[in-house]
Amino acid sequence: MSVLPHRIDALSRRALLLHSGAGLGAAALSRLLGDPPRTDVTPRAQSVIYIHLVGAPSHLDLFDPKPELQRREGQKCPEAFIAGKQLAFIRNHPELLGTPNDPRFAFRHCGASGLQISNLLPHLQTCADEIALLRTVQTEEFNHAPAQMYLATGFGRFGRPSLGAWTSYGLGSPNRDLPAYVAMFSGQYPGAGNSIFGSGFLPSVHQGVEFRSKGDPVLFLSDPPGVDRAARRRIVDGVNHLNGLHLDDFADPETATRIEQYELAYRMQASVPELMDIASEPAEVHALYGTRPGKTSFANNCLLARRLVERGVRFVQLFEADWDHHSSVFDNLPRKCKGVDQPIAALLHDLKRRGLLDQTLVVWASEFGRTPMAQTDNGSGKRTKIGRDHHNEAFALWMAGGGVKGGIAHGATDELGYAAVEHPVHVHDFNATILHLLGLDHERLTYRFQGRDFRLTDIGGRVVHDVLV
Amino acid sequence: MSAPMPALPDAVLVCTLLAGALTSGLLDAQTAHWAYRAPVRPAEPEVARSDWPRNPIDSFVLARLEAEGRTPAPRAEPARLLRRLHLDLIGLPPTPEEVEAFVADPSPAAYARVVDRLLASPRFGEHHARQWLDLARYADSNGFQADQLRDSWAYRDWVIDALNDDMPFDRFTIGQLAGDLLPEATLEQRIATGFHRTVTCNVEAGVHPEANRVDQVVDRVNTTATVWLGTTMECAQCHDHKYDPFSQRDYYRLFAFFNNTPLEVVNPLGEQGVSFDFDGPWMELPLRAEQQAELDRLEAEREALQARRSLALADAAAVQEDWEGELRGMLDAAPGWRVLEVAEFTSTGDEDHELLPDGSVLLSGRVPDTTTYRVRVESELTDVTALRLEVLTHPSLPGTGPGRGDVERPNFILSEFVVEAEPLAAVGNGGEGPRRVALHGARADHEQDGWPVAAAIDGKQDKGWAIGGGFFADHAATFLTREPVGEPGGTAWTFTLDQNYGRGRTIGRFRISAFQGAPEALTTPEDIAAIVGSEARTDEEEARLREYYLAHRPEVVRLQQALAAIDEQIARLEPDRTLVMVEMDEPRSTCVMRRGDYLLPGERVEPGTPGALHPFDERWPRNRLGLACWLVSPDNPLVARVTVNRWWSQIFGAGLVATEEDFGLRCAPPSHPELLDWLAMEFVASGWSRKHLLRTIVTSATYQQSSRRGAAADDPHNRLLGRGPRFRLSAEMLRDQALAASGLLSLEQGGPPVFPPQPDGLWRQTGRNEPKYVVATDSDRFRRGIYVIWRRAAPYPSFVLFDGPDRATCHPKRSRTNTPMQALVLMNDPVYVEAALGLAARALREAGDDPARLVRMFQWVLARRPTPAEQAFLLQVVVDERQRLAAEPGAAHALVDAHPVLDLEPTLDRTELAAWFHTATMLLNLDEAVTKG
Repeated sequence: MSVLPHRIDALSRRALLLHSGAGLGAAALSRLLGDPPRTDVTPRAQSVIYIHLVGAPSHLDLFDPKPELQRREGQKCPEAFIAGKQLAFIRNHPELLGTPNDPRFAFRHCGASGLQISNLLPHLQTCADEIALLRTVQTEEFNHAPAQMYLATGFGRFGRPSLGAWTSYGLGSPNRDLPAYVAMFSGQYPGAGNSIFGSGFLPSVHQGVEFRSKGDPVLFLSDPPGVDRAARRRIVDGVNHLNGLHLDDFADPETATRIEQYELAYRMQASVPELMDIASEPAEVHALYGTRPGKTSFANNCLLARRLVERGVRFVQLFEADWDHHSSVFDNLPRKCKGVDQPIAALLHDLKRRGLLDQTLVVWASEFGRTPMAQTDNGSGKRTKIGRDHHNEAFALWMAGGGVKGGIAHGATDELGYAAVEHPVHVHDFNATILHLLGLDHERLTYRFQGRDFRLTDIGGRVVHDVLV
Repeated sequence: MSAPMPALPDAVLVCTLLAGALTSGLLDAQTAHWAYRAPVRPAEPEVARSDWPRNPIDSFVLARLEAEGRTPAPRAEPARLLRRLHLDLIGLPPTPEEVEAFVADPSPAAYARVVDRLLASPRFGEHHARQWLDLARYADSNGFQADQLRDSWAYRDWVIDALNDDMPFDRFTIGQLAGDLLPEATLEQRIATGFHRTVTCNVEAGVHPEANRVDQVVDRVNTTATVWLGTTMECAQCHDHKYDPFSQRDYYRLFAFFNNTPLEVVNPLGEQGVSFDFDGPWMELPLRAEQQAELDRLEAEREALQARRSLALADAAAVQEDWEGELRGMLDAAPGWRVLEVAEFTSTGDEDHELLPDGSVLLSGRVPDTTTYRVRVESELTDVTALRLEVLTHPSLPGTGPGRGDVERPNFILSEFVVEAEPLAAVGNGGEGPRRVALHGARADHEQDGWPVAAAIDGKQDKGWAIGGGFFADHAATFLTREPVGEPGGTAWTFTLDQNYGRGRTIGRFRISAFQGAPEALTTPEDIAAIVGSEARTDEEEARLREYYLAHRPEVVRLQQALAAIDEQIARLEPDRTLVMVEMDEPRSTCVMRRGDYLLPGERVEPGTPGALHPFDERWPRNRLGLACWLVSPDNPLVARVTVNRWWSQIFGAGLVATEEDFGLRCAPPSHPELLDWLAMEFVASGWSRKHLLRTIVTSATYQQSSRRGAAADDPHNRLLGRGPRFRLSAEMLRDQALAASGLLSLEQGGPPVFPPQPDGLWRQTGRNEPKYVVATDSDRFRRGIYVIWRRAAPYPSFVLFDGPDRATCHPKRSRTNTPMQALVLMNDPVYVEAALGLAARALREAGDDPARLVRMFQWVLARRPTPAEQAFLLQVVVDERQRLAAEPGAAHALVDAHPVLDLEPTLDRTELAAWFHTATMLLNLDEAVTKG
């Protein structure tokens, strides 16, 4: 049994204020005090599942059909595409590259809305009516690591908090046994490293906690050899008993918080393994997602994401590596799509039938898109099978659930898919919209650091109201 | 065709809108903002309770308290105070002996002696370097995708040494910003410039080197401003600062100071290509002590070997003539090759064959895929020391051979060549039968790549001798016998030629010969044979002969090889490197970058400092050295305040200015402005001495107060300083303390970073040259936290969980959180499990009974004795655990057996260890243990 003294509840909440560091906004303070989140606008989403396809998939071949580009395939691209532009790999005057004229790659009008999605994503096609496609997203960076940071933190260099951290800071966690912000990875880490789910200058309690599929799901979760659950319980009881004596003597609320954190740690040791154990899911669910217990896979992470939001985790971020197709894009893209199509569609269906999709925002994101021009060498002169370079002037991302209008495509690119010609959406707009759906005003969610009130959206950001319900 | 980037509320526009307000604001700021006015040494205020202050700090603090109608807290109990002092000055807890001594005499004089001892300890620099290295964003890797390791630890050691030496802060500054530009810069001064070589570097393919470089310079400007001016210059990169009196032009004038260092990425393919490697200036370090010791040892060994070699050479010279005579005799006596007459030829491939008059066998008829020839010879020859197999061409063979399988490529593969011999007299007499003749030293006049003749006598059928590239010609292979072969009464020889490659790669014609006498006659090169045989030799010939002779003297050869091995080891003892700053000969020109974009150059600017601050003395050079002089000029209103405030925060948990990182117009007002200025003036007057300032702080009565809330509970942040400091230890201190308490801590100083245990798989980031995390199993496992490897993309996990930064950018202040993950670290991280077990073992070793053990443990971890309540509780815990473990001995063994690295002696009772481990874990997890109070 726990030895939590009664005085702790009152004390510990106040203690949270103390250890959170200076600069905590008043709104955030009241949230930490355990009040329900006082949001700026009516929240539509309680949780976010944010899928980052690391490396940047070829959006042109998935979400933005361009018949004219197909027709003009092989022609030199217009001068304007390269004059004064910075491209990561392409150095010569490249040719245009259309989506292959092959039924496998064809686009289909899907659902009641008729939203066009590539045949490379047959499962996702069945979800078209849930999806709000943003076809004109723009970013400022054209290399992976800076662009990943720009997307995640609104800034192309290290040091700023990520969207998930801002969310945790703004809304706190509705779950007392799990962190507010969880990150999971399939494949290699993104180039931006830990910063992509870091807390920057926010108190580090807001950083994403990585849940791992190998080893301890949360670092140091397992008790050491020779210490069983009962022994751990006795140690926690002993520690908290002695801490209680110390609290009586020194009256430091931080001590009360620590007592509570030891209880929480003890509970997490049981709740996290239970959460991560997907073997308990029925066979029908595994068939839906294509999951296999014990395996490291994106599909498993999708199922885990559902289990996390079910338990009240605020922000779940899935990083899926290996979408950087500078070469062999038409071999790699179908292969990679196969790995994510079914699980993402399953996630949307599963959330919906459980009544969770309304309150869960699902995001498909990448740090940028890919060029309508062909890349034919590795940048060092060696010929490679055809691919697409990094493209930051217009690319397609989508959102679904959580207050998003389904079955729409917002914005339009030119006939060759190079630039936005209608409703450009800057990364800051994209992030402002996500915060808005969570009930947060991106202009009011600030943190004072080094004399400045920082925002996720820096000095930009407009909510894309067209995609909201 | 291409749409413009979306219209951000343009930074320029924002500035224009604000311009009116700003301009007037700036002027006001200059005259009004306290931090931009030079500090003046304030008079010590009068206080009512005049017996309380021990130094002027206390007068300022007490005056404020009295003004609020409060009283200071009593002095902390001696044991707690001593622990606080140790943690603050050296980052490690006191020993029980030190505590006992101080408890016996806690007088101010005794206290002052402890302060002096701690300030002089080499542990001082190791502790205080941590804060500076957060500012310096020191790490051991590049950051970003590749995140390769880099060598910069000499800079980290420089910081530790500088702090231990109490290097005056002005010199400390100049060395780091511009050590390379000092006249006749010393090695240390150049190492110090590592400060600004700690910036991250993106080497992902497709990165633009100039963009990369500009980002690095931006980082240098911003970091310099944060560290020395407490100012956020970053805002002025894209537009004039919104609050503080710094224009965008000011920003790029500062930028110009740093704009003259070389690119730090290199394209290995030159102009071509989009891949980059990390580069940039580095310097070689003197050998480390252990390297130097190794070099000395190797050189001594080398000398000894050389002496022995001289002796061996002299010995050899003395008997060279004898050797020559012997060799001549052998060469003369050698009777040469004798063709062996074939008595019987059989084969397994169903071929036809013919014995030719020259003694060769010619194959014809069927060409089998594979075959084995067996040749029987009867010969009188004795003392056969070598055998020769000739493979010969013949007009009847495809393409003339010597192989049979192909007109174009008449190759063969001799998979194995086996020789057996038996005394002729014994044949058929039921003797021992033929004996295998051991062969060695196979040589051939031609070998196909990958198909050497040696493969024909290696006992394996997979490879063999082939002659690709040498078709249509005769070839010969020779084999030496290990021992002379041949019986006086005649010998029966059997030669087996396995040819298993397939596709008819078999021999078309061959002949076998034997050689009698000394094999030297065969192995001696022709030119040597000629020289030995001649009387009149040229000097070159003498030299050649001597060289050959010595190469065949085993003693000389052995020594030669030993010397070569030593030379190789010496060559491998490369000096370590460290990254440094160097200035290019031709400075770059600097322009204002519109909207902060380096592709939009604006007005050209020269190096210069912001007009809102103190003037730049024209006698200073307009380079980094001049900038450093400007920063530590006594006229700088910011540097001393910012610096002492940071140290104050280290001790008290918050600065007198709570926004340690910002002294601009929006900073938090100082809680004790006069105290801040007094400290700043005192600091400069002491010759910028950090130790003087810290001594002043820790000897104050303010510092020595009890940290109990008491009457001051309504001042939750202790802004009035009416009680002693109390807050959680840093990540590094927690680990150091646990290791120190358990007796495991290694106090080895300096050198390359160390790799203590961390969970597997954390370094699985992508990237080139991925380094492996090899966990130390020696004393490096237990080194202080300051030496732990800092990889930016995956910093040491327990440090991250206790608010350690990734060190990708200047980190002016760590947050201090209190999370469940921290509880998991302290209970389950192998580092802390090992510490708890080590602590248990130490208690069993060093104390006799349960109460004594408990007291000792308390002293090691908390620097005090347990209260009766604590003692009663924990002794009962031990009794209970002991009982449980006795009933379930497996748990105790599981625990101890999982930690072979601790090498716990078998005499320590496993049950006792586990019972005390339980208690040790509790102590290390106590709030009091993780808190400085």
